[in-house]
This record gives sequence, structure tokens and C-alpha cells, in this order.
Amino acid sequence: MNERLPRGVEALLHYGLPADQREPIAGDLLEEYVERTDRDGRLRALAAVWVQAARLAWRFRLERTVHGRPLPPIADEIRSSNMWDAVRQDITFAIRMLRRQPGFAVVAILALALGIGANTAIFSVVDAVLWRALPYASADEIVALAEARPREGRMNGPVAPADFFDWRRGSRSFTAMAAYNEIALNLTGRGEPERLRGLSVSPGFLAALGVSPVVGRDFAPDEETFGRHRVALLSDGLWRRRFGGDASIVGRTVTVDGNPYEVVGVLPARFWWPTRPDLLVPLALDDHDRTLRAAHFLRVVGRRNSGVSFTQAREEMAVIGRRLSAAFPVENANHTTSVQPLRDALVGDTRTALLTLLGAVALVLLIACANVATLLVARATTRQKELAIRMAVGGTRTRLVQQMLTESLVLAMVGGGVGLLLALWSVAGLRRMLPEQFAMLPGIDQLGLDARILASAFFVSVVTGLVFGVAPALVASDQRSGAMLSDAVRGTSGGARGRRLRSTLVVAELALSLILLVGAGLLMTSFWKITAVAPGFRPAQLVTMRLSLPASRYADHASAAGFYLALSDRLRSAPGIERVAVTSAPPFSGLNGRLNLEVENREIESTFPVRAHPRSVSPEYFQTLGIPLVRGRGFTDRDSADAPAVAIINQTAVRRYWPGLNPIGERISLGDPRRWREIVGVVGDIKHEGLDTEVAPEVYMPFQQEFTALGTALVRGLSVVVRASGDVAAVAPVLRTAVASVDEQQPVGAIQSMDDLIAHSVAPRRLNLLLLSVFAFVAVTLTAAGLYGVMAYLVAQRTREIGVRMALGATPSSVLGLVLRQAGGMTTAGIVIGLAGAFLFARYLTSLLFQVSAADPAVYLAVSLLLSGVAFLAIVIPCSRATRVDPLTALREP
Amino acid sequence: MTDGSPLGEFEQVVLLAILRLGDEAYAVAVQNEILRCTGRDVSRGSIYITLDRLETKGYLKSRLADPTPERGGRAKRYYTLRPTAVEALRDSRRALVALWRGLEAKLA
Repeated sequence: MNERLPRGVEALLHYGLPADQREPIAGDLLEEYVERTDRDGRLRALAAVWVQAARLAWRFRLERTVHGRPLPPIADEIRSSNMWDAVRQDITFAIRMLRRQPGFAVVAILALALGIGANTAIFSVVDAVLWRALPYASADEIVALAEARPREGRMNGPVAPADFFDWRRGSRSFTAMAAYNEIALNLTGRGEPERLRGLSVSPGFLAALGVSPVVGRDFAPDEETFGRHRVALLSDGLWRRRFGGDASIVGRTVTVDGNPYEVVGVLPARFWWPTRPDLLVPLALDDHDRTLRAAHFLRVVGRRNSGVSFTQAREEMAVIGRRLSAAFPVENANHTTSVQPLRDALVGDTRTALLTLLGAVALVLLIACANVATLLVARATTRQKELAIRMAVGGTRTRLVQQMLTESLVLAMVGGGVGLLLALWSVAGLRRMLPEQFAMLPGIDQLGLDARILASAFFVSVVTGLVFGVAPALVASDQRSGAMLSDAVRGTSGGARGRRLRSTLVVAELALSLILLVGAGLLMTSFWKITAVAPGFRPAQLVTMRLSLPASRYADHASAAGFYLALSDRLRSAPGIERVAVTSAPPFSGLNGRLNLEVENREIESTFPVRAHPRSVSPEYFQTLGIPLVRGRGFTDRDSADAPAVAIINQTAVRRYWPGLNPIGERISLGDPRRWREIVGVVGDIKHEGLDTEVAPEVYMPFQQEFTALGTALVRGLSVVVRASGDVAAVAPVLRTAVASVDEQQPVGAIQSMDDLIAHSVAPRRLNLLLLSVFAFVAVTLTAAGLYGVMAYLVAQRTREIGVRMALGATPSSVLGLVLRQAGGMTTAGIVIGLAGAFLFARYLTSLLFQVSAADPAVYLAVSLLLSGVAFLAIVIPCSRATRVDPLTALREP
Repeated sequence: MTDGSPLGEFEQVVLLAILRLGDEAYAVAVQNEILRCTGRDVSRGSIYITLDRLETKGYLKSRLADPTPERGGRAKRYYTLRPTAVEALRDSRRALVALWRGLEAKLA
């Protein structure tokens, strides 16, 4: 005896009956059904039970609505089951409605997918870079310490060795403090010579990060001493790649820079550091280098004592900084210390760019919401008849609003799902096009789908659904059913509120789009201005190659100089090479240093410490790069190691330290107060660090006389710069061959063209601009579509009126004027509000701009014209349709 | 507990039917009893609604019997009269009888 009521009947009972009545009534129905089946056959029983169920459902509903009497008190659990039933019903209904109108659904889902997808993508990047914890234990205790020179506006400068040792000795706030230096190392011996990314670190570096080697041990404190420093820690990648993951690697010897180093351990596979070093070696400074206070090249990291607050640590370091400043007025004048969380130091300026992008996609999402809302309002006015009937048979306004909100949420969820896919795809694409600077950001290699991103996509979808769903739902359900019915029948489809809402939404879209366009326009102008900056030399056809000669094989300056001279000779006679030069730091290489400058017999009046950038160069350097000689002479072969020390300075140095004077013949010392050099020439300024940075005073010295500008004992690094006569790409093999012919054991470092280096220096800006432009484009497209939709609707609505006017003698152009006035009103309002908004928000972009003010009138004007043009295109079709209205047809319309 | 208003006609019919059925008074049985005694085929929905209303007014109390497999595992709701209902029925009858007195001839 396993009879059951048909599913549909049960559903009907669920829909119509109060919860506490369902069970007994359904039971009664089943009894009756069984009885009738026995008596009259199944078909008739089925029919009877359906009829009975329908009547019961109707009766109870009517009772509730018409008599307005609430049914008996419902217990809490019954109330909630009521609610879930209603929700389930609504969802099914919503899906059905959307399937019936696929065109609308596709457009809405697409708009939502774009908005939610963009938000999810950017959110995942922002989350990974700015918010997720760094991959270290108690990462919030790790800080970056740096030298700050507030007067010069440099807040995160490298540290001198002597300062670091004083900091370490004098502070109590840190359980570990370590210095590190990014270096390149040559690994030779078994296998190909390889040039590796390395990190030289003082002991305590791993402790500061909270990392332990997975095999072997960390460096011992005495391994910081020069002479005991030939130990190394391998990265997991290097260990597996080059040594096959050999378990007995600890204790083996590897040849680094020509010297034997003992492997003492291997780092965990999960170990992360922005530059992804292959090898860690101790930062071993000899006795001389330890006392350097004027050469700044170290970076410092520390782990805060858990009992010490961040503010306390910062204050302690400030006190130490002041003490050093007073004790060493020459080297440390106006120096203080800066302490910031490690993440902030690593992220740097990218934070502003990322938050700007987050703001931009939020605007795009708002525009998408407004767009879908206008679509919903339009759709609601076509559903008025259906809505009226539903109200008449007992639907309450709340129920209707709930139903429509469910529809919106269903749309939003589907849009969110598609958007999530879009986000994943675009994040993967973004990863591939990331410039190198971004690849070093924390969390970048972990970009991808995870619980947080899913949750954020879900959350955004829900909020979106509510935001764009509420207004249309309220507007659509706010009709007296009688009026609505007769209106719908009459076809004038009322809803003045709906019309106003749609117009307001389109105005909002226009305003938001304008704000995005202004942002993109300002960034674009900055980018144009930067790329138009003259670098001061001729970058085309230049190629640089970095080499580091190991001190073990090139123990003194003479032997190293010999290498470079031999190499230059080989290169000069090589095919495809016009000129060859050597320098300690080519432009746009990121290499730089600063030393104190003294002028003989003169006190320089300056609010800033008197410093210059040192550069060791070969005689052909200026011709090779195309740097103009402004005064005096260049270097020659006669400026050798035995000849009198000479120097060439740039125009900025002259302007700053010899204003209105002739510096030729003056003597200066750079870094070392005992070595004086005579100024023999002045050259033009070049942009060294970036197209957007100020030129600093520079002092060039012949590399025969001053081999390395900063004297560390470990490596001698110089760059070879060549000017190619033909194809730049063909130069790399020529360079490698030449190096091998001089010293076949010498690995070659990065070979890059100067054009690439310059492009690389503006790559972050380019990416920012690209992304913002994409968002602005999406925004404008959505807005244009929204505007088109509203105008088409308005024209269709006023067809009758237009017909009447034309029948009464109005010309097409006056009709056009009528329609245009409406469109023009919306567009003007949108642009004006948008300009005000842009003006307010653009100031947050200031740090990203270059030679452009956040209120640049040209940009604002251009953008307004552009948006007006787009708006015009959007309304052209509806407007021309308006003028082609046939009065007779229009008047005949119901 | 009751709202004091006099019983409606249909409400009286339903109450009387329940009284006749004794312990077995549930909606279907009430409907059948009414049909049998008065010839009126009332809609089940009206029965349910009225039973509900009477319970709300305090004239009836209901109980859910055990579910049975014949009903697909659903319980049956039985109704019984409360004393207030009996009282109200008596009042009703008294009123009607009083009004009927002397009119038999006119309505015969």
C-alpha cells in the first residue's frame, strides 16, 4: 500500500496551505485519493484530487487575503520552513522567467559578469599583495629598517655597514636583526658555469624571517667574519636542479666565484624572498668595509621582540639614529632611521596603484549595477499585467518584492559565476604580462582561486544583486492593482516612477564613466609626458652586459682592468659593433651609490648633504652613449692608474656646487678625503635612475684610476656598453663569444638593450594605464548601452505623441529637437556631476601622475567631449527612428 | 476564551456534526455527516476553514493522531467540542426554539 499524492498536488498544497494544516489535509486527500482509485479508477481519482487540491489552495489563500485574517499562530520552526519554501519557489520561478527572456538575461548576465569579474580579479591581486600575510611565521613582527633622510625626501635608503653594526649593537627591541645585499654569483665546477642570484646575509637573517633550513644548519655567528665566510645555503630549486636533490649535500664543496664554499644547508621549498635567490652566503665584510659609514648599500631586516610594540621599536631606533647623527656629523648629518613593516617596504608605491585599480573596478561594478537596474525597471513595466494579477490573487507587496529580489539575486549569482571564470582567466593572463617589478611583490606567485577569492566573489554577487534589485522591485510593486491592470490593458504603461528611475540611473552611469575616463586620461597624459622625456643620451642601438669578476681570480685592480681592456679590444673588432665602453653603473640599471663630496679649499653652502654619484667609466663612455661634452675634455688613455687623478662632472653638479663658476681645474674628493681629483670636463645631464626622477650630481672617474666606486672585497662588477651598428638582437652572441675568448670560465650576466631597460622602467606605469583604460572602456560601453536603451524606450513611448505632433504639422527636425533635448539633458547632467566627482577623486591619483595636475583642464575637456560623442552615437539611432515615425501608424497604435 | 459572538449557521452545522461523530470527528467525516444529514454538499475547504476558525475561537480542541501508512505516514487531526461549544449550541437552540414557537403553522 504505497500510494502517494502526485508531486504537483503536494506542491500546490505547500503553496496554498498554512504549515500546520498541510499534514492532516494532505493525509485526508490521500485517503480520498485511494478511496476514489478503488471506486472510480485512477484517472478520475487523479483528476478529483487535483481539483480538490487546487480548490483548497485557492480557498486558503483567499481566506488569508480577502478576510485579512492571519492564520493560527505558527511556531518558529514552521515559520522558517515557510520561508525556505517561499525562497525555493521564488528561485524556480526566477529561473523560469529568465529562460523565457533569454535576450534580457544574456545582456544582464554579461554586464554583471564584467563588473563582478573585474572586481574579483583586482581584489585577488590586492588581497595577495597588500593583505595576505607574508609567508613567514608571525610575519607582522618582521620589519624593514632603513636610513631616512627626511630633508631630501628619501625615506627608505640603503644602510652603511658601520651604521648597521651600531644599530645591531645598540638596540634591544629585536630578537634578530640582519643586513643583506643582493648579489650575483658565479657557480662553476661541475656542469655549466652559471650566474646565480644570490643574497649575502649576516647571521640572524633566517632567524629574523623565522625560517629554518630543511637540511643542515643556518650560518653561525662567526661565519660573518671575513675568512670564515666560505659557507653557503642552497635554495631548494638550485639543490634539486643542479645537485639532483642529493641528500648528502651538506658538507659538499661548491665553487662560487672561483672559491670553494662548503654547503651547510638547504632552504625549505616554501622559502620566499622577492628576488628569489638561488644561494645564500654570509655577508662577510673585511675590517675596512665594516667601518664604512659613507657607503650605503646594505638593506636591513629585523624581527621585533614580541613584548615590544611597533611604536616602541621605532622610537628606540629613532633615538639610536639621532645618537649616530650627533656622533658622526659628516657622514650621518640629518640621517634618521625608518622602521616599517616588511610588507610595506616590499610593496612600496604599488599600494597606491593597486588601491586606485580597486576603486576603478568598484566604479565599473556600480555602472554595471545601474545598467542592469535600468533593464530590470524596463522589464518590470512590461510585466505589469502579470504583477497586477499576482497582487489581486493575494500576493502582498512584500512577497512581490521578495520574488523580484530573488530574481535579481539569481541573475547576480549567475553573473557572478561567469564573472569568476572571467576573473580567473584574466588573472592568469595578467600574471603573464606582469613587468618584473611586480613579479617581486609578495603573494604574486600565489595568485589564483582560493577560498577567500570565492567568498569575495560570492559576497560581491550578493551585494550586487541587492543593490540593483531593490529599486526596480520597489518601483514595480508600488502600484495599486486596479490602476495597474487598467493601465496595462490600455497600454500607456504608466510608471512615471520607472521612467524617472531609469533616467537617474543613466545619469549616474554617465557620471561614473566620466570619473573613470578622467583617471585614464590623466594616467595617459602622464605616460606620454614620461616617454617624451629626453634621457640625455642616445639609447637606440645600445646594449649592456653585466659582468662580475670574482676576486679570487682577479685579486687586484690591475688584473681586473686587464680583463676589461682585453674584452674591449675583442669587441671593437667584432662584427656589428661600432663602439665599446665600460662603466660601473649604466643608466636604468638600478645600480647606484652615493658618496660624500668635498671641494678643495671651499665650504659648500647647502641644505642637503654634499654628495654625488660616483661612476667609473672607460674613455669612450661618453661617445658611446652619446652624452655631450659641454666643457673641458673627456677621458683619454693617458688617464691611467699612474697619471694624476681626474674627474668629469655633470651639469647638475656644476649648477649645485659651482653656480655661475667654472669648475674646470678645481679639485674634489669623493668618499675618500685623502684622494683629490682634478675636474677636467663637464658633460650633459642624463637620466640615470628613471625618466621621472631628478638628475643628481654625478662624478665620472676613469676606471683605470678608480675601479670600483664602492670598495667591497667580494666582487668586481662592471657593465660593458656597446653601440651596435646593425641588428641589436645579433649583439648578444657576439658579446658572449668575446667574453669566453678572454676568460672561458667567466659567466655572463644579463644582456639587455637600453631601449628595453627604459621600457622596463616605465612598465608599471604602462600596466596601470592599460588596466585603467580597459576598465574605462568597459564602463563607457556599458553606459552607452544603457543610454541607448533608455532613449529607445523613451522614443517608443512617445511615438503616439510624436505622431500627433507631426500630424499637426511639426517637422522632423523639431521632433528631433524634442528627443535630443531629453537626451541632452541626461548627458549634460551626467557630465557635470561626473566632472565634480572626478575633481574630488583625481587628487588621490597625484602620486601616480607625472607633470600633470590632477585638475588638468585639457584632460577634463577632452574627456567630456569624448563622452558627449559617445552619448551622441548612442542616441543617434533612436533619434532617427523618432523622425521617421509615420503619423498615421503612430496614431493608430493602442 | 471565546469572543462571545453568537455562532454562525454553518458553524453550528459543523459543531453538531462533530458532536454526532463523537471521537471520530475529522474533516472528511464531518463533510460526509453533513451531507448525510442535511443533503448539503459543502466544500472541504469551507469545512477546514471553519474548523480552524472554531478552534481559534476556543470552541474546539484538536489533536493529531498517530500517522498511518494509509495516509502516507501523515497524522489525522481529530476535533472535539469544548464545554464552551456545548454551551453555545444550547444557547443557540434555545434562541431558535423560542423564535420558532407559534410559527409551525405558517411554515408548514
